[in-house]
Amino acid sequence: MLAVEGGDRKEVMSIASNPSVMERDLRLDFFRGLALFCIYIDHLPNNVLAEFTFQSVMFSDAAEVFILISGYTAGIVYGRAMERQGFVIAGVRVYHRVWQLYVAHVFLFMMFIAMVAYTVGALNNSLYAEEFGAANFLDEPGVAVAKALTLQFQPAFMHILPLYIVLLAVLPFALAGIRSWPRAMFFASFALWLAVQLDKRIALSAYPGPDGVWPFNPFAWQALFFLGAWLAWQGTRGGISWLRRRWLFCLAAVLSLAGLLIRFSWTLHDFYDPIPVLVSGKALWPFLSKTDLGLLRFANVLAVALLVARLIHPQARFLASRTARPFVICGRNSLHIFCLGILLSVLGHLVLNEFFGGIPMQVAVSAAGVAIMISVAALMEWFAAAQGVSRASALGAPTAGRGARG
Amino acid sequence: MTLAFLRYAIVLFAAAGIGLVSASAEALGQEQECPVPVRFYAFEPSLTKTIKALAGGREVVIAGLGGASSVGLAAGGPSLAWPARLSSVLAGRFPSARIKVVNLAVARQTAKAAAERLARDVLPLKPTLVIWETGTMEAVRGIDVDEFRETVQAGINELRAAGIEVVLMNMQFSRETDAMIDFGPYLIAMRELAEANDVPLFRRRGIMRHWAESDLLDLRAKDDAKRRQLAAKLYDCIGRAMADFVTRGISAAKPAVNPGSDR
Repeated sequence: MLAVEGGDRKEVMSIASNPSVMERDLRLDFFRGLALFCIYIDHLPNNVLAEFTFQSVMFSDAAEVFILISGYTAGIVYGRAMERQGFVIAGVRVYHRVWQLYVAHVFLFMMFIAMVAYTVGALNNSLYAEEFGAANFLDEPGVAVAKALTLQFQPAFMHILPLYIVLLAVLPFALAGIRSWPRAMFFASFALWLAVQLDKRIALSAYPGPDGVWPFNPFAWQALFFLGAWLAWQGTRGGISWLRRRWLFCLAAVLSLAGLLIRFSWTLHDFYDPIPVLVSGKALWPFLSKTDLGLLRFANVLAVALLVARLIHPQARFLASRTARPFVICGRNSLHIFCLGILLSVLGHLVLNEFFGGIPMQVAVSAAGVAIMISVAALMEWFAAAQGVSRASALGAPTAGRGARG
Repeated sequence: MTLAFLRYAIVLFAAAGIGLVSASAEALGQEQECPVPVRFYAFEPSLTKTIKALAGGREVVIAGLGGASSVGLAAGGPSLAWPARLSSVLAGRFPSARIKVVNLAVARQTAKAAAERLARDVLPLKPTLVIWETGTMEAVRGIDVDEFRETVQAGINELRAAGIEVVLMNMQFSRETDAMIDFGPYLIAMRELAEANDVPLFRRRGIMRHWAESDLLDLRAKDDAKRRQLAAKLYDCIGRAMADFVTRGISAAKPAVNPGSDR
């Protein structure tokens, strides 16, 4: 993941039915697909399977994986565009993508409003009217809608897209900076992250106030996203030699292993209390903030990414196999599948809270949702291929394949 | 999959094991309309000071902090809220003790506002036990979960320093709001707080979910009268469950326990 290497020609050719595969680092698609499944499963209420996603074996969770890979992919795609087409064209392309994300966010918000409007009657006459009525969006829908349009109102489960939108909007300038002053940009981004760790007041306020903040602090999370973009840019010019050092690999392995042992001991402890934890959570709290991307969450995802990058080849046979295909196609269509996942998790909430059904039901709802995500991704792949063929024959030229999207 | 079943098996074995050990406690539970499975508090630390004071027939002041669901608004007022129900159940079980449950809950109060009241409103009461129901407003308003954790941690420290025992109580379960309000991070924060401080956590959300799931309590109400009735029943169940929760581990006082007396 940390360097784009020329793939083994033979292996690529054997899977060349899809021409875009040749250019792609399949690891990016695979792990982004996996992250999307994890996000869906984590969002279901009371779901036992949520104990078996990324977060049960590392301090980070699917959000870190998603943002790091997205930063890296955006770095490759738009970095290349910037080299070939210049700052303005590449910038316009990025902003076209920002627009798509924004529309997706508004679409999700519409669904949220529909659900609120649907349940508000039931809620006002329920046990919970006084408690949950305090959610201001029930009282002042006008303000809530306006605040959603300015990204200040982020209802439950709708936090990642606003973060992604803001990060992508800054990307053209960051990329221009990385090209001119790679080292300065690297340290500036890291320094901003460090500043957030030291001063919690560096945050974006959110609606409803007065003390609401963005659940993903962009000033902290930018470090992960732009580090991904920075690594991608370095990768296009031969990679970074010190990333291949043995000691760094060992350090990453030790960090990942420590994260796995400690985090998994917490998972087991949650299941059965007498199982002891390896390190008390309280000691690590200051480094585990999700809002501010705490040190351990940051370090753990980087360590695991380094291991994956070193141990798995970009076109490894497994990644091109049938087994991995569902993950790869979901990762490739990440925006659509992400939105679908949010929609499905809302529906999953309604099913699980209406029919309950214990662990078998939780597993069934999780599996059904993942199956729907895969089916839609397969449909999109098929449609894109069909469209590509018709367009290519119309133009009389072979298609270059759909490029990766940030 | 396999691991999921493993967990299932572990929980079942654990429940079975504890069920055997505390067969008498289970028998008490069966008498009630809304029993709570032992898994909800089998591993929670017990409240030694409070238990000693209750069993010893001394004066016991219990303060309840919380929001609308502790004020009892949905049922019609504090006299039907869980603190009042807790008080009458405890009084029935420990007739010799002078028990006073003070309901300090305020609708829509944040953890921060509650914590600021500790020195002014709670400590002067010299309570033996403080039951702190919290987390709802934070989840509804999307208040920074790290800040929430720090606030509650500071509150626990303050109470502990004054020699007061603490019980944390988490949010209500509701079918409708789950998909609109993300309770997850706040629930995890409360579990971590309880764990790290060795403070018992009353898992109200899980318990209410269990009642709804096993058809013991339908948490939906069609009209206003039904709603009051339902709320009163729910708060009564919570009060009873809390009485069981607080008095876990009392063996000396067993003879005083008479399930029929507190009806």
